Amino acid sequence: MTVILDGLKYLAYILIFPGFLFCFLSGMLLCGIDRKLVARMQKRVGPPILQPFYDFFKLLGKETIVPSAANRTVFLLAPLVGLAAQVVLQLFIPIFSFSAFRGVADVIVILYLLLIPALSVILGAAASGSPYAGVGLSREMVTVLAVELPLVLVLLAVAKTVGNAIGSGLCFSLTDIVRYQVRNGSLITRLSMLPAAAAMLLIIPGETGSHPFDAAEAETEICEGMLAEYSGKPLAVYKLSSAVKLLTMTTLFVALFLGGIGGGIDRVLMGGTAGGSIAFLIEIAVLFLLCALLVAVCVSLVHAVTARLRIEQIFKYYWTVVTGLAALSLVMAWYGL
Amino acid sequence: MTHFPILAIMAYFLGAFLIVIFGRNRGVRNTLGFLATACPLVLMIALVKPVILSGQTIAYWMGGREPAGGYAIGIALEVDALGLFFGLLIATAVFVAMLYSFSYMSHDDNEPQYYTLFLMLCGGVMGLVLSGDLFNMFIMIEILTFAAVALTAFRNTATGALEAAFKYLVVGSIGSSCILAGTIMLYAQAHTLNFAQLAAFLPGHLNRATVIAYALLFIGFCTKAFLVPFHPLAADAHGAAPAPVSVLISGVLTKSGLYGIIRLSYILFRTMNLGTVQFWLVFLGSVSMFVCVTMALAQHDFKRLLAFHSISQIGYVLTAAGLATALGVSSGLYHAMNHTLFKGLLFLCAGAVLHETGTTDLDRLGGLSKKMPQTTVLFLIGAFSISGVPPFNGFASKWLIYQATYQKAVESGNIGFLFATITALVTSTMTLASFVKVTQSVFFGQLPKEYENVKEVSLGMRLAMGILALLCILTGLFPGFVTTYLTEPAARAALGANSYINAMMGSGYAESFGLADTLPVRFVSAGVWSPISWLCVLMIMLLGVCIVAVASRYDQVSALAASEAVPAPAARYGSGSAAEGKYELFYGGEEAVYSQVGGEDLFWGFKHNWRGYFRFMHELHSGIVNDYALWAVVALALAMLYAMVIL
Repeated sequence: MTVILDGLKYLAYILIFPGFLFCFLSGMLLCGIDRKLVARMQKRVGPPILQPFYDFFKLLGKETIVPSAANRTVFLLAPLVGLAAQVVLQLFIPIFSFSAFRGVADVIVILYLLLIPALSVILGAAASGSPYAGVGLSREMVTVLAVELPLVLVLLAVAKTVGNAIGSGLCFSLTDIVRYQVRNGSLITRLSMLPAAAAMLLIIPGETGSHPFDAAEAETEICEGMLAEYSGKPLAVYKLSSAVKLLTMTTLFVALFLGGIGGGIDRVLMGGTAGGSIAFLIEIAVLFLLCALLVAVCVSLVHAVTARLRIEQIFKYYWTVVTGLAALSLVMAWYGL
Repeated sequence: MTHFPILAIMAYFLGAFLIVIFGRNRGVRNTLGFLATACPLVLMIALVKPVILSGQTIAYWMGGREPAGGYAIGIALEVDALGLFFGLLIATAVFVAMLYSFSYMSHDDNEPQYYTLFLMLCGGVMGLVLSGDLFNMFIMIEILTFAAVALTAFRNTATGALEAAFKYLVVGSIGSSCILAGTIMLYAQAHTLNFAQLAAFLPGHLNRATVIAYALLFIGFCTKAFLVPFHPLAADAHGAAPAPVSVLISGVLTKSGLYGIIRLSYILFRTMNLGTVQFWLVFLGSVSMFVCVTMALAQHDFKRLLAFHSISQIGYVLTAAGLATALGVSSGLYHAMNHTLFKGLLFLCAGAVLHETGTTDLDRLGGLSKKMPQTTVLFLIGAFSISGVPPFNGFASKWLIYQATYQKAVESGNIGFLFATITALVTSTMTLASFVKVTQSVFFGQLPKEYENVKEVSLGMRLAMGILALLCILTGLFPGFVTTYLTEPAARAALGANSYINAMMGSGYAESFGLADTLPVRFVSAGVWSPISWLCVLMIMLLGVCIVAVASRYDQVSALAASEAVPAPAARYGSGSAAEGKYELFYGGEEAVYSQVGGEDLFWGFKHNWRGYFRFMHELHSGIVNDYALWAVVALALAMLYAMVIL
């Protein structure tokens, strides 16, 4: 009986919250907010906030064209694998004191799972046989390489800080990182974590491939690069996964640096005792607001005020400025500042 | 049962000699080859029960010459869990390579010679890992080095084959000489060559001579494992050798070097200042890891690229094994095993491509996935494994390596080990990038016209690749099984020398030298491998496929119209052959340099920023054998200096 109940519970996690349905709704919504904000910042009217939903369903109804040079199976399967991995990733990131997979939320797993959506886009693009996709995938791979190093350093810095505090050296469990913050306040309030948080803010647009780090898509230059040959349903799936990625990256930021807010909510609402469905709903709402805020700051604002960088500039930027910030944080954390 | 080790070694050599005599007929030759590689595999598996499950150490004295008066004079074989672990690896890889050879080599001349050399090489490596004394080890190294040199140049009409063999011969001989010199110096000090006796003697007698011997032996084994600075040899050798030989060189021969390093550092010289030896091993491992992966990014020959990755992965093994913790050694051995499996698979795939198309030039290949779908799938399994994508085996072992390095950093409070973790993580991403390039350049993209008649390789070759692919998946799905039954016993054997000594010299011998084992504590791996989470991945994938594919005619419209609209490659790319201008479309703008996309420039944005480094590496790898010999001498001098300093 308990097995069935557990199974149902996990099924609900996967399908509804924080799995598919939640990812779909909030990812698309974040995407819509982003587009609206960019438009308003550029003094345009912009699409309605629900436009990504309209786009998605419209695309679902369109026909799917497979290029003759493409490897059919990989071309069509890649978007699905990417989406699946993206949603799984979301399951691993705790939402304040709630985590769908407790105890397995390890930082390095997340590092790995972040690679899989990028990898699947790349494989799909390679399988399409288009030269535009070839250029796009080359740039995407370089972007992934560029972002990887600072991201590793940021995660290590956080792991070291929390590990120092709870006395286990390095703490590689995201659940523990968030729990620590719920008890002791958000990490962003520490001096040593400020550079890491700044680096993470810069990683988010790179990881989601938005301006000015979107050389891999560059629709004016290489026809959206890797998506050049995609149409119809696979394209819809890709659009969905990139929207979910927006949610994932911002949730990860909240988990790493703003986890203490969950503790605040508990204190205000429940007088210090965690739990309760109302508190939980409020937590989700707060999380979404935080995500939207982060999107506004590090995706929309940056998008509106910058021009696209060339790929080697992106690489250089990440491996000097962002890596420098993250490394500074790691060194400070290591010496217990 | 005590005779199993010697039988395993003899099976290879006997097979080699019998093929010389009776190998004219193909049927006889293949039967002999099959038997000579299958028997050792069976024998090794039979040894699993006593050695790994019951924890025995099998000592075998040739001619019954057992030690008398505390001195071991006779020739000895000794099998502990460490030796058996490598023995199993070798027997498996050799068996698969033999299966593949049957059809792969069937168009070559001089087939009997090939199988003879092949089996000599295998016998040499097997003898090395099961040997119980240093001089035997040296003899086996000589046999395997010369067999490998001859096999490298086996297709001596191919470009570069003789050159590669010559380079290998020169630098390999320097390595062998180092081992001989080290052996002599140890003998002069200890008056014995037996491992067990040496292991008991050396801890109390660490002086200048013995640590110099350590440096000599260490450099000797480094040349066998092709660690930096010996990596250019591997690239040349793999580029020229037939694919099954590449499997032997990367999957088997490099393991013999690793085995030597582990045996040397943890059994013979275990009381040497471990902290500094660790630093040396981890440093060398990390450098190999990083240098070779960047070298691989710059390659545009399929097999050379794989060769550099091979050394990069060996760097992982050495880094982890150098940590001297149970988790570290265990994860290193796990990765060594995975390296044999996925690297073998990848080399066989490269061989399949070469067999069908006649080239391994990444700039000329393309679109083969339509013609060789099964090879493509097998290649992707290998590529995912080496890049550490879950749930393949590379993920499990790399995960353990990250954990081992950061735990070491925490325990020792030394931030240096953290750099090993970071290097390992970044290298892993670069490996992935590099395999994306191979996938894009060989299997996906446009199919050049000349390869339109390419067919899938024969069943025998696919079978061999399939076995390795299956093992890659199985060892990835059941990491708990692998660590409990294979790598952990081997790591314990490596870190606890007393039982090794006593099994050979009689119980109480090690204790009479005042040696005490500090057996490592069992480690707990940070729980990532919860099957339920991976079940979820599968479920979600299935669900996604069902919802989208079934409910909404996912892939119904194919590109009939599109195929007419696309002109033939030659017409598209304008002048020049399609092979030359794979991405010609993008050249000829005002600044063509900003859209470099050909096989070698897939990572242009990355390489542009590192151009100084790449130029430096390019100049360094001159391809002149004199330079490489010089590197060997310099490395030897540095190792000696370091050994003197840490004494």
